[in-house]
Amino acid sequence: MPGEEFFKGGHTLCPGCPGGILWRLITKVMGPNSITTMGSTCISLPPAVFPSVLDLPSISLSMASPAALISGVSAALKVLRRKGRRPGNERTNVFCVAGDGGTADIGFAGLSGAAERNDDGVYFCFDNEAYMNTGIQRSSLTPEGTWTTSTLQGKLQPKKDVPMIMAAHGIPYVATASIGFPDDFIRKAEKARDMAGGFRYIHVHSPCPTGWRFPENQMVEIARLAVECGMWRLYEVENGVWRITHDPEPRRPVAEYLSRQGRFHHLSPEERLHIQAVVDRACGIRDGKGEEHYTKIKK
Amino acid sequence: MDTTRACGPLPGAFCTYKELPIGSTSIGVHADVIRTGLWRLLRPVIKLKKSPCSEGCPAGVDIRGVLALMRKGLFEEACSLYLKENPFPALCGRVCFHPCEGTCNLKEWDGAVAINALERFLADFAPLQQPHYPPHGGRAAVVGSGPAGLSCAYFLRLLGHSVTVFESRQVVGGLLRTGIPSYRLPKEIVDQEVTKLQGLGVEFRPGHTVTVDTWSELEPFDAVFLALGSGKNRDLPLAGLESSEIVPALEFLEAVNLGRRVNLGRSVAVIGGGNAAIDAARTALRLGSRATVIYRRSREEMPAFSSEVTDALEEGVEILYLASPVRITKGGPGQRIECIKNRLGEPDKDGRRLPSPIEGTDFAIEADSVIVAVGELPDLTALPQVLRTNGPYLPVDEFGSTHHPGVFAGGDITDQPHTVAHAIGSGKKAALAIDYFLRGRQSGGREAAPGMRNRPGVSFRGYTEGKLAEEGESVVTFSGLNPAYFTHTEPSMRPKLPVEARSGFAEVYGNLSPEGALEQASRCVSCGQCCQCNNCAVFCPDASVHSEKASPFERIDYQYCKGCGICENECPVGAIDMEREE
Amino acid sequence: MKQKEPLRMMLTGNYAAAYGAKLARVEAIPVYPITPQTTVMEKLIELISKGELDAEYLPMESEHSVMAAAIAAEATGARVFTASSSQGIAYMHENLFGASGLRLPIVMAMANRSLSPPISIYPDHSDSLAQRDTGWIQYYVENAQEIIDTVIQAYRVAEHENVLLPVAVCYEGLIISHFLEPVELPPQSAVDAFLPRYQPKHVVLDPENVMHVNVTVNDEYLMEYRYQQQEAMENARVVIRDVDEEYAATFGRSYGGLLDPYRIDDAEVAILSMGSNAGLARRAVDELREQGLLLGSIKLRVFRPFPGEELRQATRNLKLLIILERAVSLGSGGILHAEVAGRFYSHSTRPVLANYVVGLGGRTFSLSDLKALTLKTVAEMKSGTVDGATRWIGVRGLA
Repeated sequence: MPGEEFFKGGHTLCPGCPGGILWRLITKVMGPNSITTMGSTCISLPPAVFPSVLDLPSISLSMASPAALISGVSAALKVLRRKGRRPGNERTNVFCVAGDGGTADIGFAGLSGAAERNDDGVYFCFDNEAYMNTGIQRSSLTPEGTWTTSTLQGKLQPKKDVPMIMAAHGIPYVATASIGFPDDFIRKAEKARDMAGGFRYIHVHSPCPTGWRFPENQMVEIARLAVECGMWRLYEVENGVWRITHDPEPRRPVAEYLSRQGRFHHLSPEERLHIQAVVDRACGIRDGKGEEHYTKIKK
Repeated sequence: MDTTRACGPLPGAFCTYKELPIGSTSIGVHADVIRTGLWRLLRPVIKLKKSPCSEGCPAGVDIRGVLALMRKGLFEEACSLYLKENPFPALCGRVCFHPCEGTCNLKEWDGAVAINALERFLADFAPLQQPHYPPHGGRAAVVGSGPAGLSCAYFLRLLGHSVTVFESRQVVGGLLRTGIPSYRLPKEIVDQEVTKLQGLGVEFRPGHTVTVDTWSELEPFDAVFLALGSGKNRDLPLAGLESSEIVPALEFLEAVNLGRRVNLGRSVAVIGGGNAAIDAARTALRLGSRATVIYRRSREEMPAFSSEVTDALEEGVEILYLASPVRITKGGPGQRIECIKNRLGEPDKDGRRLPSPIEGTDFAIEADSVIVAVGELPDLTALPQVLRTNGPYLPVDEFGSTHHPGVFAGGDITDQPHTVAHAIGSGKKAALAIDYFLRGRQSGGREAAPGMRNRPGVSFRGYTEGKLAEEGESVVTFSGLNPAYFTHTEPSMRPKLPVEARSGFAEVYGNLSPEGALEQASRCVSCGQCCQCNNCAVFCPDASVHSEKASPFERIDYQYCKGCGICENECPVGAIDMEREE
Repeated sequence: MKQKEPLRMMLTGNYAAAYGAKLARVEAIPVYPITPQTTVMEKLIELISKGELDAEYLPMESEHSVMAAAIAAEATGARVFTASSSQGIAYMHENLFGASGLRLPIVMAMANRSLSPPISIYPDHSDSLAQRDTGWIQYYVENAQEIIDTVIQAYRVAEHENVLLPVAVCYEGLIISHFLEPVELPPQSAVDAFLPRYQPKHVVLDPENVMHVNVTVNDEYLMEYRYQQQEAMENARVVIRDVDEEYAATFGRSYGGLLDPYRIDDAEVAILSMGSNAGLARRAVDELREQGLLLGSIKLRVFRPFPGEELRQATRNLKLLIILERAVSLGSGGILHAEVAGRFYSHSTRPVLANYVVGLGGRTFSLSDLKALTLKTVAEMKSGTVDGATRWIGVRGLA
C-alpha cells in the first residue's frame, strides 16, 4: 500500500468510523489520477466541508445522483480525450463513494441505470446498514431484526441483496468486501481499477460504532465477526464467474455477533435462532451452490 | 497538487461574496483547522513491552530477540545474541525445564513455541570468536565447576577479568557431568562447553578441593564465587534403614555417568518424585532393571519436569502415586518396602497439598535395589564459619553477594530452584556483581548496578550496553494479543527416539532441521514488540499512524488522533496501550 | 464524410433545437425521452451516428439522472446540452438548483408541456415557470428559427465569465416543437467564430488541480453564494442584450435581446406575452390598429433574469398593459403579472395592469379571442373597472 495519504486526519467523522479507513484505502488504490463522485452519506462530509481532507477532485450533488455523476464524468472524459483536450492515453480513474441509502434506496434507479449502461467507473457502497447521517434510520440494507429509530421493535424486512442484484446486471465486476479484511478489499479494488472499463461495483460492509451500539475500538473486530459468522459473505463475480474469496471455517455462531451490538439487544431467543437459520440457509445456497444460484438469476 | 493555496468557505473567515470563489467549490486541502486530537479521552501509546518468555527465563536470555533473528534465518546472529546472555545453548537446549514455553502466550493458541528445541538448534551456529572486554586486571576464583560456576567464569571473562575455576573432582562440570544422565545430556557436549571456556581463557584446576583448611589459597584472588552445589542427599526417615542397603540417587547417577559398573538386580524401587528420582528410574531401566517409582503425592505435585515423567512412563517406568514407604526390610532375595497409601490434604508452605496416610491401606513392594531421591542439600561444612548460618543454604543477597565482602555465591548452594537455568542465571548475576565490586564503585553489589534488575534473569546487555532502558513495566499476556492475525500452524517438532530404540544411553531427543527451526521460530509472534505488521496504520480512520517512521514509537500523530482505540485492539502483539489523556 | 451544409432546411422546433446544439458543437448529451421533447433527442442521436456531431450521448434512466450527469459532465469540462418537458423537468427539479449553484453553463431546451394531473401532453408554460426560482436563465422563443439562433446565443450567454449560469430555451410543445418551418442554418465556421469552446476555470474536475465541487457550509456562507448567483443574473441582462446584438451583426437576425416590443412607440395599450402568444399579439396589434386602437405588443423573450427595468421603460407611456399568461401560480394568480406588478408598484407612473390566464393545457386561444379580450379590457379601463385581478379565459362555467 503506498504510504502517501490522500485522505488525511482532521476530519469530523466519529472516532472509530470505518469510513475513514475506507476513504484511505480506496484513495490509495485509485491513486492521484482520479476523480471521485459522492452521494450523501456520513463520509461525504469530510471532503465537502472546507477545509477538505481529501486530496482528490470530488463532486457531489443530491443524494440520488452519485451513479449518474459517474456517467457524466466518464462521458466527458471520453469526449475530451477524443477531441484532444485531455491526453489521449491518460488513465483517470472515476470512482464513487455512496452510502447504503444512496445506493439501495433513493439512488437505486440511478445505480441500476449506470450499471445497465455499463458506464465506466468503480462504485463503492459504504454500507453501515442504516441512514446514519440523519440519526440512524432504517434503510433497505438494514438487516432483519435491527433496531433503528424508525424500526424501534426491529426491522421486519430482510436486508436487500444489492450485490447479487448488481451481478444480475451483467457488469464486469461485482464484489463484496469488509473493513475487517483490508487485504481482500484492496485486492478487489485494485482488480476493479485495472479493468479496461465498464461499471464495477464493490459493496463494503462497514460497522458503525455509533449506530450499531458497540465500543468504537471493536469496530474492526465486529467487521471480522460479521464475516466469520456468515452474516456478511466475501465474494466476487468477475465477468460472470462467481467466486467466494474468504470462507470462514468453521463458521462462528451468529449469537456472538448479535450479542455484541446494542442494536440487537431487544431480540428474543426465538428471533436470534431465526436469524441463525436464515444465515445457515443463505450460506447453504452459496457454499458450493453459488454458481447454480447465480446462474438461476441470470436466466 | 497545490496544497498551499487553500480557498473556500472557512468557518469564521467572513469573506465577502466577491472574495469567495464562485461555484460552491473548495480548492486545496487540509488547512489544519480542525484539531481532532482535542477530542481524545484516551491516547494510544506504542511501547516496547516485555514478553513472558524472556521475562521468565532464569538465565536472562532475550528470547524474543533471538527468535526474531531466527525467523529471518539469521542463525549465527541469533546465536551471538543468545550467547550474550547464556553461554550454553547446547546444554540448556537439552536439559532446561523451559519455563519460557510454560509462559509462552501461544500455548493458549496452538501450542507454545518450541523454544527449547530452537535453543539446541542454535548451538551449532556459535561464532568462532566471542567478543570480550580487554583485561581489567581483576582476578576471580570460582569454586565449583557446575553450571553456576561455569556461567560465572564465562561472564567474568567477557568482562575482562581473569578466572580460575577450582573443582574437587577430576572431571569438570558438576551435576552436568555426574548427575544428568547421558540420554538427556551426552558428556561430549559438556566437554565441548568446557573446551569453549578454556578457549576464552578460563583456567581450570580439577581435582582441587577448596575447604576450610585450604581457604587461604583463595587469598590472592580479588573476588570469589562459591558454586559448590547441593551434593548432600537429604535423609529419608524410614524404619529399618540401618539394616538395609539403599543407594542415594546422586551416588548412583554419578557412578553410571562416570562409567563405573553398577549392579542393581532385576528390579529397582526409587523413592521420590523429583528429577533425580526420574533420572534414576530411567537409568535403571537402561541398565536392564525394572523400575518402580514410589511417590507420596499425585502427578500434579511431582517436582520432576512433566516431559521427563511422560518419557519415563513411555519407557515403562511404573509410578505409584500417593504412596509413602513406611519400613524397609530384607525380604527374599532383595529388599521389601512396606508402604501405605495417602490422601492429599491442605496445601503446605510450598503450596503443595500435604499427604496423610489412609488407615488400613498397607501394601508391600519387593525390589532388588532401593534408590532414595528425596532431595539434595548443600554441604556447608566445607566453608569457613564466618560464611555459614544455621540454615541449610548459603545466604546471599539478590545479586549473589554474601555478607563477606568479595565473596559471592550462586547455584544450588544458595536458596533458589535447583535448575540449570537458575544456576546459569545466578552465575551471571554474580559475575556482574563481581565486576561492579572490582571496579570499586560499591562493595558487594548491594546497590543495583546500572542495567541490572531484580528479576529471575538479569541482562548482560543491559549491564554492559544499557540496551533495555526502553522496556516498560508490563508483560504481555495472551489477552493482550490479537489472535485474529495468527494462523494455525502444524510445525514439525524435534525428532524423538521411539521407545523401542531407547535401550541404550543414546540421546532421546534429536535436533530440528533448518526448515523445522525456521518453521518453529516463525511461529513466535513477538509479544510486546512491534512487528511492523502495520495494522495500526491501516486501520486508523484518521490517518494518524505513520508507518513510514523509522521508530515505531514515533508513529502516532497526536494532532488528529481521536483515541478510538482501534489500533490498540488490532495490534497483534499487544504493543499499544491506551492511556488517559492528561 | 463532410456534407455541404444546406443553408435552409425545413425543420420542426425540436429539430431546430437539435441543429442548434450541433452547431454549438456540444460534447455530452444526457437525455431522457418525454413527449413532446423526444424528437430533439432522436435527431441528435441521428446526427451523432452519422458522424455529423462528435458528442457522447447518454441515455439516462430518468431526468433526475439526466441533470446529474449533465452537471457532472459540464463540471469535467465538456459542453453539455439536454432537453426535457413537463414531468421530466419537474423530476429534475432538485438538480436544477445544482446546475445553477455550481455555476455550470448547461443549455437545456424545454419543450413546454403542462404538468399533470390531469395528464396532458398539450402545451403551456407551467413546467418551465415552476422552475423560475432555480437560478436558470429562461428564454421564451416562438419559432424554429428563433430556437436555433437562441440555442447558439444561449451558450455565449451561459459561458460568459460574468454569467456562468445554466440557460433554458423554452418553446411550446406541439405547436412549436412539432411545427415544420423553413429555417436558415448559420454556417458552422461562423458559429465557431461566434462561439469559442468552453474553457472553464471556476469549476473543473481535474486531478492536476484538486477542487471539491459542492461544499457544505455553515450559516456564514450561503447568502454570499446565493448573492453571487443573483449578481450573475443581473450581469446576464446586459450580456443577453449584447450577445443578441452581436448575433444580429454576425448572422443578420436579432430578437430584441430581453424583450421585443412591436409598434409600442405611440401605443396607449399593449399586450405582454411569451412564446406563441407573442405572434398572436402582433397580429392582433395590426388588425386592431386598423380599427383605430393605439395598440402595441411586447414579447417577453427572457423571463429570467426578469427585465423589469427594460419593461418599465418600454411601457412608460402606456395607459394599459394586458398581460397574457400561459401558467398560473395557484392560490395567487398570474405569474407574469406578479413579476410585473412587483416591479411597477413603486413607480408613480405606471400603466393599469390587466391579467388573463389563457391556453392552459393547450386550450385554444385564437386571434379573435385575443381581439375581443383586448377590446373588452380597453372598455373596462375606460370605465375604471380594471382591477388587475387574474382572470381565467375559456373555462366552461366561468363567466
